[in-house]
Amino acid sequence: MRTTLSWRGDMLVAALAFAALAVPAFALGMQSVLDFAVRFAIFGLLAMSLNLLIGTTGLVSFGHAAFFGSGAYAFGLLMQSGGWSVPMAILAAMAFTALLALVIGALCVRLSEIYFAFLTLAFQMLIHSIVISWVSLTGGDQGLMGGVPKPPFLGIDLGDGRHLAMFSAFCLLASVVALRQIVRSPFGAALRMLRDNPERAAFLGMSIFRYRLAAFVIAGTFAGLAGVLMSLYVSGAFPTFLYWTTSGEAIFMIMLGGITVFLGPLVGTAIFLVLNDRITNITEHHGLVMGSILLVLVLGLRKGLLDYIVDAWRERREKRA
Amino acid sequence: MSQHDRGIDRRSALKASAALGAAAMTGFPMIARGQGRQPIKIGMPTILSGRVAQLGVSSRNAVMMEVEKFNAAGGLDGRPIEVIVRDSRGVPAEAARIAREMITSDRVDLLFDGEPSSGGFAVHEVVRETGTLTLHLNSETSSLTADPRQRFWNAFRVARQGIHDSIAGGAYAAEIVKARNLTRWMTVSPDYAYGRDTTAEFLEYLKAFAPNVQVIGETWPRLFQPDYTENVTRLTQGRPQAIYSCLWAGDLVTFVEQASLYGLFNQSQFFGVNMADYTTLQQIKQLPRGVHSGNRYLKTFPPVPGNLAFAEDYNRRYQTYPTNWAWQSATAVHLITEALKKVGGTDPRALANALKGLTIDSPFGADGKVTMRAEDQTLVGYAIGWGTTISADPFVENMTAADWTTIFRHEQEWKRSKGWA
Amino acid sequence: MDLGELASCLGSASCLVTQVSAGLTIGLLLFLVASGLTLIFGVLGLVNFAHGTLYMLGSYFALTAYGATGSFLVAMAAGALGVAVVGLLMERFLLSRIYGTDVLMQLLVCYAIILIVDDVVKIVWGGDFLKMDLPDAFRRPPIIIAGGIIPYYYVILFAITAVIAVVLAYGMGRTRFGRTVRAAAVNPGMVGALGINTAAIFAAVFGIGAMLAGLAGALSAPIRSVVPGAGVSILIESFIVTVIGGMGSIWGALIASLLIGFTRSFGSIGFPLFTEGMMFLMMALVLLLKPSGLAGKRQA
Repeated sequence: MRTTLSWRGDMLVAALAFAALAVPAFALGMQSVLDFAVRFAIFGLLAMSLNLLIGTTGLVSFGHAAFFGSGAYAFGLLMQSGGWSVPMAILAAMAFTALLALVIGALCVRLSEIYFAFLTLAFQMLIHSIVISWVSLTGGDQGLMGGVPKPPFLGIDLGDGRHLAMFSAFCLLASVVALRQIVRSPFGAALRMLRDNPERAAFLGMSIFRYRLAAFVIAGTFAGLAGVLMSLYVSGAFPTFLYWTTSGEAIFMIMLGGITVFLGPLVGTAIFLVLNDRITNITEHHGLVMGSILLVLVLGLRKGLLDYIVDAWRERREKRA
Repeated sequence: MSQHDRGIDRRSALKASAALGAAAMTGFPMIARGQGRQPIKIGMPTILSGRVAQLGVSSRNAVMMEVEKFNAAGGLDGRPIEVIVRDSRGVPAEAARIAREMITSDRVDLLFDGEPSSGGFAVHEVVRETGTLTLHLNSETSSLTADPRQRFWNAFRVARQGIHDSIAGGAYAAEIVKARNLTRWMTVSPDYAYGRDTTAEFLEYLKAFAPNVQVIGETWPRLFQPDYTENVTRLTQGRPQAIYSCLWAGDLVTFVEQASLYGLFNQSQFFGVNMADYTTLQQIKQLPRGVHSGNRYLKTFPPVPGNLAFAEDYNRRYQTYPTNWAWQSATAVHLITEALKKVGGTDPRALANALKGLTIDSPFGADGKVTMRAEDQTLVGYAIGWGTTISADPFVENMTAADWTTIFRHEQEWKRSKGWA
Repeated sequence: MDLGELASCLGSASCLVTQVSAGLTIGLLLFLVASGLTLIFGVLGLVNFAHGTLYMLGSYFALTAYGATGSFLVAMAAGALGVAVVGLLMERFLLSRIYGTDVLMQLLVCYAIILIVDDVVKIVWGGDFLKMDLPDAFRRPPIIIAGGIIPYYYVILFAITAVIAVVLAYGMGRTRFGRTVRAAAVNPGMVGALGINTAAIFAAVFGIGAMLAGLAGALSAPIRSVVPGAGVSILIESFIVTVIGGMGSIWGALIASLLIGFTRSFGSIGFPLFTEGMMFLMMALVLLLKPSGLAGKRQA
């Protein structure tokens, strides 16, 4: 009973958030606001899905962009082949990334943290070099060119910037609601137990492998959806989508926001995007500035901004009590 | 793990990095401003960091240099050109975002797209939608303008084009083949779209001009591969009479260095389409003699005073010689300023019409002129030539200029075979 | 695939000489980088994602030193020692603060270091690719053995890297320092209780690892172009080596490096478009069949 209630609560909050964000953007119709909304949805979803691994499951993946990029390529290729409607192609692209995550996950999730981190990195680089070399299918380094067709469905025309912004916001919020349900479900509780106390979980007869693999596949699938939105946004797909730098940026976003707070990655995404845009406007030394910020954050706070704020707030409350 | 003292200076380390950050911010964005009111704004997304930063940096250098000259000469009836350059870091999605932001927030009058092919296509999609007048400075992929589906009224290419290079290279190589009876060929090219396409096109025209050529083996290093030993040994095993490569920049330098250690250039004739670019030539210490190369950019080809003056002027300002990207970017400024003068304003439709078919005097032209071809909105008539390398300045000698009538004829056939003409 | 070509190569002395020597050189150069990575992991429990960046710095230091002095030895020393100093600073001021924290922190600090160093390198040396001169003493015609070709400089490379491999394996196995280091890896508390400064040992190990990467960068500067961001592909290969060989095992790293070297040199003849895939395939097989690696004891 309690879960159904929170289900409804989440839905309500999400609907309100949608109304608060998307409707004014739609009404204003300013291209820059719409662009930001789409990018926020794309990277927010990527960061949220990655945090299911890092925050909830304790698996630090450095190769999450592999699924982001695969989703983008799968969707773009399906749409270019013709004969697919947008919703069907989205589902197929997500199914494809799920399958890919299943294969890579089966190899990686058995391993200890450190092996896991760089094996995901290595597989991502493998997929990246396949995409670069398989020119006839992927267009190689030039990416999928010629645009991604977006036939209207259910009265939604994704070629229109406003429709795309609304649709992206919808995908983000629906995914966030779904992820929240997953995190709060018994399954999510099991993932946390595996993270904090694997011995106890093993003692209870839980299969660490299956739970972690399931989390890996779910996270990969949502990253695939983020990739779909990306390919809708840029009307193509490019190898950088699945390069390690994209994974690095996703981790950066999570770190900026917070790992322990459910919506932390979204806050981090917003900060990251604003920072990124400001910095590219004032300097060509993007890496130096972003790297320094990251270093200050990691060595100074040792956690995300929201984590820090929440902890500080708790501490104050405990002191008072 | 062990205990560590935290006392020592995290703070000073952070201070140092902050200071570096602050230092890095000065001098950017590069805005060439002149006096007078209401400047003509040009937005330029390009790559200023990472492995191909040289592309964006030399492009920007050339644009700034030529724009300054235009502004110093009074601009367009007192209106100077102002250029806003931003770094996409080679990420196509960033290139698209920056282009869009320049159009909507900075309200630029036109775009110089300084991206290579990948980012170039991303920008192409943006301006297809917004109808912003755009000059692609660095995208050499033929389909960008040759494929009618990619073409629309407001996008122009001011760059060399893969198919032109391939026809010119094939014709040149065929002459050498006939003179020295080089029939056994191998190729070593980077394994990505540009490498595959350019190599296939070169071989197609080589075989068209010299039908007895046989390709006995290929090796495909991946893009930015750190070491080429395995590819070099593959080539030494094959014992070909001639080798073709479209490796470029750092990859080409590494390959040539390792290949000369293996004595490969004594064994086979080498045809490197991208060799004659100063950054490449100057980095290859002990440049092997007699390597065949196409001109990317050479101050001695075309051998006209204007070209030499451009190189010297560029060298005085930036302490380095221009690249292929530099002459292309300079040509874009020459073309657009000519069109601006003709139109007398910045109306995009009028400018596009003025650009179509525009022929200007140019130090980079095959016969002193370059043309923005009306039918597919791409640059033609620029100087293409092949020559052989020598170990010191001017690095390349015996330049043979390509014949544009041959290029046009085969290009037309090629388009027809693709269903594009 | 061209397995017929591979078979005929294996049957020809000239081809064997050329490919074996090439494979050895590629492999041993890779070993210098990978051994540092595996050593740092084994002792410090830290995956140095910035290890490729150290390799890149080694190349830059070497080419600058060579440009200034014209001495090959000075250039190599500058690459190795310069990077050792950078590594020590990195360890003391940045990485030592995150020992024992989770992988996420390690990853983020290394990521930040990569971003910063790549940009600083661009500011100092420019974004263009550079190359170090090969000293004239090494610029000789290749050596021909049984029709096979071995470049003169590759012989030098082979000699230097082979000596280091032996010294390293001996040093970690037989010397007092090596034994202390291995003990510190297993039980730092116990080693500390014996009055040995574990912090100093950790720093020393990181310094040695950095020095090896720097030396590899320096040695390859005359034959590979040097450019910001060049460290990443080296890093991935070193990772593959450490996984195949077993994290923390010097011998494993040596075997795996040579395996990769031969895969590259013979693969370019037998399966030219699948050398990369073959490396990953080998890694996947090791992970499935013996996750601790060929020579590893540590649980993966």
